[in-house]
Amino acid sequence: MASATERSLVRGESSGGDLTAASAVGLAGIMFTLAMVVVFQQLSLTDTIAGVRLVGFLGVGLLALGLSVIGLGVASRSGVLSATPRASAGLLSGAVSGLLWAVVGGLAGARVLGLGTVGWLLCAVVVGAGAASFTVLTREDVGTTVPAGAFTALIGLVVLVAIGPSWEWALGWEQQPASLTAPITVPAMTLAGSLVGGWAAAVAYGGFGARGRHLGAYLLVYLNAGTIVGVLLVLIGFTVFKGLPGLFRGVEVGLGVGRQVTVEHYLFLPFIDFAPGVSLAFDLPFKWPFVMAGVSLTNDVNGVWPAIVGTVWLVLGAVLLAIPLGVGAAVFLTEYAERGRFTQLVEVATNGLWSTPSIVFGLFGAAFLVPRFANQKSILAGTITLGFMLLPLVVITTRESLLAVPDEYRDASAALGVSKWQTIRSVVLPAAIPGVTTGVILGVGRIAGETAPILLTMTGAVALPANQSLNVLGSFRFTATPPFVANEALLQATTALPYQLYALITAGVGQSSNISDIDQFRWTTALVLLVVVLSFYAIGIATRYYFRQKLTHE
Amino acid sequence: MSNTATTTADTTTTTAGETDEQLKAEWREYAFEGEPKLAVEDLNVHYGDDHALDNVSLDIPKESVTALIGPSGCGKSTFLRCLNRMNDRVSSARIDGSVRLDGEEIYQDGVDLVELRKRVGMVFQSPNPFPKSIRENIAYGPKKHGDIQTGLLARLLGRADSDELDDLVERCLRDAALYDEVKDRLDDNALGLSGGQQQRLCLARCLSVGPEVILMDEPASALDPIATSKIEDLIADLAEEYTVVIVTHNMQQAARISDQTAVFLTGGKLVEYGDTDQVFENPQSTRVEEYITGKFG
Repeated sequence: MASATERSLVRGESSGGDLTAASAVGLAGIMFTLAMVVVFQQLSLTDTIAGVRLVGFLGVGLLALGLSVIGLGVASRSGVLSATPRASAGLLSGAVSGLLWAVVGGLAGARVLGLGTVGWLLCAVVVGAGAASFTVLTREDVGTTVPAGAFTALIGLVVLVAIGPSWEWALGWEQQPASLTAPITVPAMTLAGSLVGGWAAAVAYGGFGARGRHLGAYLLVYLNAGTIVGVLLVLIGFTVFKGLPGLFRGVEVGLGVGRQVTVEHYLFLPFIDFAPGVSLAFDLPFKWPFVMAGVSLTNDVNGVWPAIVGTVWLVLGAVLLAIPLGVGAAVFLTEYAERGRFTQLVEVATNGLWSTPSIVFGLFGAAFLVPRFANQKSILAGTITLGFMLLPLVVITTRESLLAVPDEYRDASAALGVSKWQTIRSVVLPAAIPGVTTGVILGVGRIAGETAPILLTMTGAVALPANQSLNVLGSFRFTATPPFVANEALLQATTALPYQLYALITAGVGQSSNISDIDQFRWTTALVLLVVVLSFYAIGIATRYYFRQKLTHE
Repeated sequence: MSNTATTTADTTTTTAGETDEQLKAEWREYAFEGEPKLAVEDLNVHYGDDHALDNVSLDIPKESVTALIGPSGCGKSTFLRCLNRMNDRVSSARIDGSVRLDGEEIYQDGVDLVELRKRVGMVFQSPNPFPKSIRENIAYGPKKHGDIQTGLLARLLGRADSDELDDLVERCLRDAALYDEVKDRLDDNALGLSGGQQQRLCLARCLSVGPEVILMDEPASALDPIATSKIEDLIADLAEEYTVVIVTHNMQQAARISDQTAVFLTGGKLVEYGDTDQVFENPQSTRVEEYITGKFG
């Protein structure tokens, strides 16, 4: 390896070494993906790929990955491969390698050699220390690749030789008869092996040194981020997959098939001078039972309409309560109050309120709010409880976005002789709206799915028929006595999606009710809940986007 | 007067004190025609324990350009911000002394800060237009003061001043030499303008409330040479109608555009004040001479 090559600015054309390293990284990616697929049970270990059983495929793949990684290291050490390794792989790599090999050593001591507790512990320490010192003391190329490659290859060998699809290891715990089985163990080991082997291969592909370490870290971080996206997709996908068949059951499209909708006179009043009591009724041209019906004996297909209505009113009410209070408090704290004991106290109180468990909010609502609102569970009590829960997040995020508004705006406005409140209203708050919206979105995501508080403050019967759904707008009445407005619907107990889901899953409610396919009903309810929450989320994102556009483009 | 060079902030000898007094008397007698627009007397500013301005007195003539120069941290920006009481916004600042605008004390009870800041406008170091349209930026001050009504109520009652608003926007932008560049995009966001245009917009915004004095805190320090020269030309034009007080780091700039120059040196002391030509060509204090010739500061 001439020094000219080492110092050359442009890397040479891709050599055989580069190709091997790149295919090793690719192989690791394939192993990782296959293991994930097995974890989520989309493939079983006994399925065959190109005539080979999956478990054999995994074993051979890992073995090949491990051996090629070792080969890359040895090739670099002997100067065949052009690389720029450092003197040592570093303490962090050493520690990780030591830990991995300690696990291998302990398992080998206990399972293969049949040693007692002291024996396998000693074995683990010796093997781990050996691997760690090998990693740290040899040159980087060998120190990185040999322990990692050997680890991967060993896993491949074990999967290939020792563990079949029917392998099982009873853990021998006295209280709990737990055991490890192949469908969990093999993909878990494959994940570990592909991560370690893939990392080492990526480091080798970068030619070790700074660039190699960068590529190794890049691979791990990339897989990390990918896993998060994967988890989200799997979660949503699973719910959609399970819930979708029930969603469109009994859908009909055609004139007059749907429910009769009545538009009451009070909705016309501002525009057309109808006589009181006159209302317009028409039939919807479609019928969507799961979304637009409730639960009752006479229904062919039961639905969750009352729960949807309950959830929407609940969230709207909580947001309407929390935003003015929260934004007001945040404006006071950031713009008016002097920084000192009091603001710090409020800050601590806000953070504490945000960390308070939701069941405590629920208990408070049940003990404090419910007795004060006609002594019965009601949507009003539930809304106020959830509003209190949302409040701290609104305060926190509004404070942060107000602090992020540049002081130059305030200075400029003050220098024009504009008063503080006018400045806040027309310059500071508009600039903070996108941040506030983000906070509210996050908060709504939390409260819309909250079960515990509404269980204690709001909910009555689990599954209501459609005609018992909340009619908040239609229940407004003017009265002759104070407070001159009455709305019975606000004092009505009702249901909401998360509560309905919870109650149908637990407590045997589902079995005794007249819902025929209870499992399907649950999953579809979950899907509807997901859609409702995500639509709040979408509204929030659209709002934020709108205001951001307005601020920067107009 | 050459022994002023030895006068430092911590010498409290009688001779030095007398010298200060003499100098001050001379500055107050700095000859110009007519009444001073701004008369500053014995102004002291403390930020906590930090003495930022030390007994500053000077008179600023009207319809002229006064440059404040000096090294960083010498208190010239603090001085500028005292002239429209922007330092009131700094909670740790303590201000003693007297500043009179057209003979009327601005540091006394009952001063209408809104009126004061309408009469004494300010342009800041970095351009800071609001994240609104160009038109909105200029209309902001007059609208908030109720001088121009464009709200929903005004429109419903038929009292909206849309013509006045258009006139005002055009006049302010023309005065700030920006109109021709932006006349076709008055409703675009001001943040889309270049740095120099943004600074001229800030000047136009400052003009919109009809000031008599314009304070500028290093208005060109964040701009390139072409934008700077535009701002400088503008300042010369503005001095025909307004009293301009400008803080600058750039001594060539001060020499080019100002009628009189005040030199502050470390410790918040005003060391020299007089006609710009005289200050730059024949400074009375050797410390000022050293500063101007670049030997220190």
